[in-house]
Amino acid sequence: MKPTAEVVHAASALSSWMSGVCTEVNKLSSDVSSLLERNLAGKSRADRAALKGLDEYPREFLTKNSYAAGAGTFFAVETIEQGAPALDWWARKEYGTIGRLDLDMTPGSSRYYDYEKLPFFSTAASTGEQSLWGPYVDFLGFEEYILTFAAPLSVHGHFTGVAACDIRIKDLEPLIMPTLRAIPGDAALVNASNRVILGNSGLYLVGERIKSGSPNQHQLALDVPHLGLSLIYTV
Amino acid sequence: MASPSSFQSQIYRSLPEIERADAIVDRLTKAIGLGLLKVGERLPPEAALSEMFGVGGATLREALGDLRERGIVETRRGRSGGTFVVNQPRAQTDAIRDWFLSTSISEIRDIGDEHSAIAATTVRLACERAEAHDFERLQDLARALILADTPEVRAPADSRFHIELAIAAQSPRLTNAEIRLQEETVQQLWTPLTVAFDPEQATAEHLELVRAVAQDQPEKAQNLVLEHIRRNIFHLIDKKLTLGYAQSNQDGQ
Repeated sequence: MKPTAEVVHAASALSSWMSGVCTEVNKLSSDVSSLLERNLAGKSRADRAALKGLDEYPREFLTKNSYAAGAGTFFAVETIEQGAPALDWWARKEYGTIGRLDLDMTPGSSRYYDYEKLPFFSTAASTGEQSLWGPYVDFLGFEEYILTFAAPLSVHGHFTGVAACDIRIKDLEPLIMPTLRAIPGDAALVNASNRVILGNSGLYLVGERIKSGSPNQHQLALDVPHLGLSLIYTV
Repeated sequence: MASPSSFQSQIYRSLPEIERADAIVDRLTKAIGLGLLKVGERLPPEAALSEMFGVGGATLREALGDLRERGIVETRRGRSGGTFVVNQPRAQTDAIRDWFLSTSISEIRDIGDEHSAIAATTVRLACERAEAHDFERLQDLARALILADTPEVRAPADSRFHIELAIAAQSPRLTNAEIRLQEETVQQLWTPLTVAFDPEQATAEHLELVRAVAQDQPEKAQNLVLEHIRRNIFHLIDKKLTLGYAQSNQDGQ
């Protein structure tokens, strides 16, 4: 069955919004890559000197893109000299200021944030493509209910880490709800594992997994490469 | 409503900044709103209140003065005098509207998740532990909801029933958790803003729940209470969508 004009319109509006975020995260990734390629000057691992000036890009990202709550870079640990920070993460704090987020990077510590094992990092590492992870509760990290957009970062063709941004589910809601509400029936934006990111009614609640079942339920993939997003709607 | 930025901030969160007198006004207003203190009831003497709240006499008198100005309590002189609860606090429509505008659907769903966890165990324990006089009391409290004829009295009647279930479960900690959850959402549930909530169906569900508890059917009781909470949360989300996003339907943007 062909989706209605409203569904098609909403899908295209959501695709374009999500692609906009991807473009920004890709730009962050390529800015960081260029800086490292300049600073490394032939060395294989980045030391503190090579990371100098890195913080400028995520700060710029957050200033420009008010939808994001956090942004920055996570490096593959083997590409960083011992003693140099393995991550550079910036978050919007109270009263609109932007500050560095300090995470516990001590293996074995009870608050160790082992990001290389987290999907936003490991997916980018294994596929080499941008990815979207969430909604998830980012325990020990940002510690909120968020979505993470990540893009792999390479230096002279070698995978070096990811550039990423976080969006709070709470902040995303007012941005995309009007688009979903323009669809007359029940509809939801879902991620690659069919988990609801946002629904336009109580039928599809954020965080729930959509099981196929109802014959009235249809799915339309969004035109955003690699993220696996789609629109579920009932008629 | 600002959400804490991390789980750690839960531990180190700042102590309430509002003046202690305001805190007393807030505590008593909520207790009256929930029906834990009833209209006509006399508050303990001022000296006892100061001691229990851990504040000086001047602070306590300031708080009681505020409650008197709002017409919630009245102080009478003489032998049978004292401070009496004389009125339900008015449901604060503006505060409720603000709550709906500032609370996201994911947060409302999350309140429902926590409430489901608390209520499921509460009702299972109530099946095991409640006795005949508890059933009667629960039934009376269930009926009180349908007899309540304004939103201001439906909210306390509804929350009183759920708190009593936790009491029947014999758990002070579950009772405290239930009180906190009721404080958080019951006014929003019954406010006549946008769509009114149907007291008949809520009462029918409460009565069915009492029957399941009385017949010691924990499985059934749990399903009933989970479905009851799910319906409440759907209603809150509907109100949120109507108050927060009513424009979007018309604009089609």
